[in-house]
Amino acid sequence: MEQTSHHDRLPRELKYIQYEHRLETQYLPAIRALISKDLSEPYSIYVYRYFLYQWGHLCYLAIDPNDSSLVGVIICKLEAHASHSPPTLRGYIAMLAVQSTYRGHGVATTLVKMAIDSMKARNADEVVLETEETNIPAMRLYERLGFLRSKKLHRYYLNGNSAYRLVLLLKPVDPDSAADLALDEADIYR
Amino acid sequence: MGGSEGIVAFDITKKFRAAAGTLELGELVKDDFFSLFESVGALEIMDPKMDSGCLAPGESLDEDYDVTRPLSPGEVIGIIDQLFCLEMAWYQGYPLSQTLLTNVYIDRMLEPEPLILQDADFIRERIAKEQRDPMHVVLRAYCLGLVKCCWYINDRIKFEHYYEEEDFVTNTYHRSLLDSFDLNDINDEIMAARRLVHSIRHRIGNELAQALGFRLELRTAFLRAIELSVMRSNPESLSLPWTQMKAVWEMIYQSRHLGQPVPEAFSTKIQRRLASTMPPRPIVKLSTEETYKHFKKLFVDGINVLNVLNYHDSQSLLVLTYHQNFVMTFQSQKPQPLVYIRTLLQSFLFKDMIILGKLSIRHVLDDDLSLVVLPASKFLDPANDLVEAPHHPRYALAHQMELFRQRAAQSYLDIFRAFCQNRCRIRRTLCHSIQDWETVQVDAEEIDQLLRLQIDEKPHVYPPTGDEDTSGVEPTYSLPLSSWAYLYKLRLMEWIVQLGFELDIYAPDELAGMYWYLSDLARHRARLVDRISYFTKLRAAEEKGGATAAQEAAFIRSKHYLYQASFDAAITWEMADAMSNMYAALGRLGLIVPPPRPYSTDELRYDVRMKPFGTIGLPELPSWEVYRASTDRAQVETEKLLEDARLSLEQAQRGLEVVARMSEKESFSVGCYERWLGGVTGQIRAVEKAGVVVEVVMRKLEEKGEGTKGKELGLKVGIGKAAEGEHEWWVVPTVEEIDQRA
Ligand SMILES: CC(C)(COP(=O)(O)OP(=O)(O)OC[C@H]1O[C@@H](n2cnc3c(N)ncnc32)[C@H](O)[C@@H]1OP(=O)(O)O)[C@@H](O)C(=O)NCCC(=O)NCCS
Repeated sequence: MEQTSHHDRLPRELKYIQYEHRLETQYLPAIRALISKDLSEPYSIYVYRYFLYQWGHLCYLAIDPNDSSLVGVIICKLEAHASHSPPTLRGYIAMLAVQSTYRGHGVATTLVKMAIDSMKARNADEVVLETEETNIPAMRLYERLGFLRSKKLHRYYLNGNSAYRLVLLLKPVDPDSAADLALDEADIYR
Repeated sequence: MGGSEGIVAFDITKKFRAAAGTLELGELVKDDFFSLFESVGALEIMDPKMDSGCLAPGESLDEDYDVTRPLSPGEVIGIIDQLFCLEMAWYQGYPLSQTLLTNVYIDRMLEPEPLILQDADFIRERIAKEQRDPMHVVLRAYCLGLVKCCWYINDRIKFEHYYEEEDFVTNTYHRSLLDSFDLNDINDEIMAARRLVHSIRHRIGNELAQALGFRLELRTAFLRAIELSVMRSNPESLSLPWTQMKAVWEMIYQSRHLGQPVPEAFSTKIQRRLASTMPPRPIVKLSTEETYKHFKKLFVDGINVLNVLNYHDSQSLLVLTYHQNFVMTFQSQKPQPLVYIRTLLQSFLFKDMIILGKLSIRHVLDDDLSLVVLPASKFLDPANDLVEAPHHPRYALAHQMELFRQRAAQSYLDIFRAFCQNRCRIRRTLCHSIQDWETVQVDAEEIDQLLRLQIDEKPHVYPPTGDEDTSGVEPTYSLPLSSWAYLYKLRLMEWIVQLGFELDIYAPDELAGMYWYLSDLARHRARLVDRISYFTKLRAAEEKGGATAAQEAAFIRSKHYLYQASFDAAITWEMADAMSNMYAALGRLGLIVPPPRPYSTDELRYDVRMKPFGTIGLPELPSWEVYRASTDRAQVETEKLLEDARLSLEQAQRGLEVVARMSEKESFSVGCYERWLGGVTGQIRAVEKAGVVVEVVMRKLEEKGEGTKGKELGLKVGIGKAAEGEHEWWVVPTVEEIDQRA
């Protein structure tokens, strides 16, 4: 990762906004570019639209007010998770990235908090995600907020790396619901 | 358009354009069935990372390497050695498209599909034998052997339980891997090439000739090993080709400097011609050193896995108990054996539902029951099957036992299957298994009730009160089958927790609690083993006098097993107690600091953590309050926590030292004794290391006085990865003395 000039700006100067469809032309290319940087496999435009069109309200952008450039982004969804009886309302953090020069200032933390707050307001039972086992910054960030590792997924990514499933429970589990170990939707999302 | 009958084709371009024109950019029109999965699978035309036909300016679609050009011996060695790296990457789980199928020679050999062996050649033009470049002949023979090996391995893996993409990619992209060619014919080609190399050794020099010879020899041996592995008898002869490969591999490694790399003979462009929508992805590049290490391990594992077949002491029927140990120790090696080896293990164990090639499931299940709960029991007497009178109690026994076997067999074998998987899957699968064993136990209890009526079993007060007067205490029955099921279930639950440590699932501040829970489970297991021993002893006493020598022996064997099991449970709980107390103290002293976690509560996290156990009725999951109180031990002083940890470690150490002195037989580890002993000594080292940590913290606390916390204590605690510790189930922290003024 290019770590040329490290910004000493405070994230407080940044503007945090919720994504809206009208922002697509202005920001979608930048969102894709930012996220692709850290991915071995690119996502097609349909993956972005799949999330943004249906759950734009769970996507947040961090913007540098000086030049309106994109500094960070979080993309999520929130859906009933059917393998449970009764079904739970499960939030899923699909993508998160911050420009490398802005890292370490709490930008990602702010974005994740905004997304969780928004999911909570919509009555989510839990929030889940996967992260590469080698991605220490991401794991620390989520674990600091209250996520726990629930399972390890062997060779989950195409590059051969394993992942952890992280879970944040927002409401007590129904004691009668069976253990959630069936194939999760996220399992197909590699 | 040559459309099918009844279908009229017409141009909708205009209509589609018009309709699409009413949409805003980025607006998504989809039905309810268009899922994330579909969106991930969608491709973008003209994006070079997604569109396999998209070329950079000036880029050609296919690689333009000339396979007919003459090759030097050094180049052939270079190509073969590169193929080794790719072959290993495939064994490790990368697809053929990014590994072996990037080689131009292999590609030309397989495409178009050869119908006769003569056409399985990268040069299809017929050239008289004498006129061929001998190096072409050698490389072709090598590739034939390699591809045939791949076909076998792919086929065997597909046949057993594995996880596609996660463990292995079986996709051949519609390339036939010489499927239909006879192994003998391919062997002949390799032998001919070996002879050819020998005959030209003076021309090319001995050193190069030998180096080529080793590489061809390895292929011969590999094919032989694969061919033999379908037989499940005579492990000595099965191991010959593996031993040969192990030796030849060293020679190959030592002659690697003779190779001249030919990077042009490998290309990602070939992927465009494979049956896949994926655009070309990079070649997976393992280094020569890694490749060397992994092959070496593969050959050693190939030899070792055969030992699973090695137990044929017909006197002793404890086959699977040995094999539990075998599978457990084999699979906990770091790194884990490759999926092909795990496939061999599975096929040796279960192929055609015949265990180890010779035993029926009934046989195995009855052995296990006899060892654990029913030594010399009439429940397991094969003579019961011969009774034909439906009112005879023995007829009923045979019938009920058969019901039980049918109920338990699958669940039982599933445990072994689970342990043949990768470590992450083992844990996930066991989380399902315990739900299954919960019902096995319930069903077993029902059958227990029916069986005891048949034999008119007398109830006993358990636990024994020691009083003559037992009035007011409800006597109970031995309940052998449900005890057996419960014992397995408890062990599975412990394994789930232990694998959690191994896979670094738990956060540092969860360790105290999870070790407490492990200790709690081990105590349940110890109590259950005591109960089983008690009822077995009663029965042995009742049958004393009438028992045959074989029955006596069965009782002794079972007694021995139960003794060992309770010992094992005791060591586990002592060690877990020690760890729990130690981590509780470290938490209290501010040496392990939990993150702020603004979005979570302790109770909600307990729910997440204990979810797999939440539905288990016996033992019931401790309430959050009990869990917290038992973990924190708030009323106990910190010094006392550390002192308790120290005492438990001493106990555990004493126990482990006894265990370490057990023989192969006593420890049920015939065929895997060294690995088993390695595990025990690893635990001893973990105990010792934990002892040092406890001692350092105690000393500092004494020096600085009660109430000193965190940095002030002059200590820094770190928690590493479990795999890097002395034993993967015992996570021992590191302590470092620091200058607290800093
Ligand atoms: C993971 C990632 C999103 C983190 O972004 P970030 O903005 O640097 O994250 P934060 O600043 O919120 O947290 C990082 C660190 O800064 C610290 N920090 C938080 N708030 C801060 C503040 N106001 N000032 C200074 N530092 C702060 C945090 O404590 C944290 O420290 P740690 O190293 O002890 O964990 C970023 O590294 C990234 O884009 N990585 C590549 C993509 C990726 O991996 N995504 C996650 C996929 S699941």
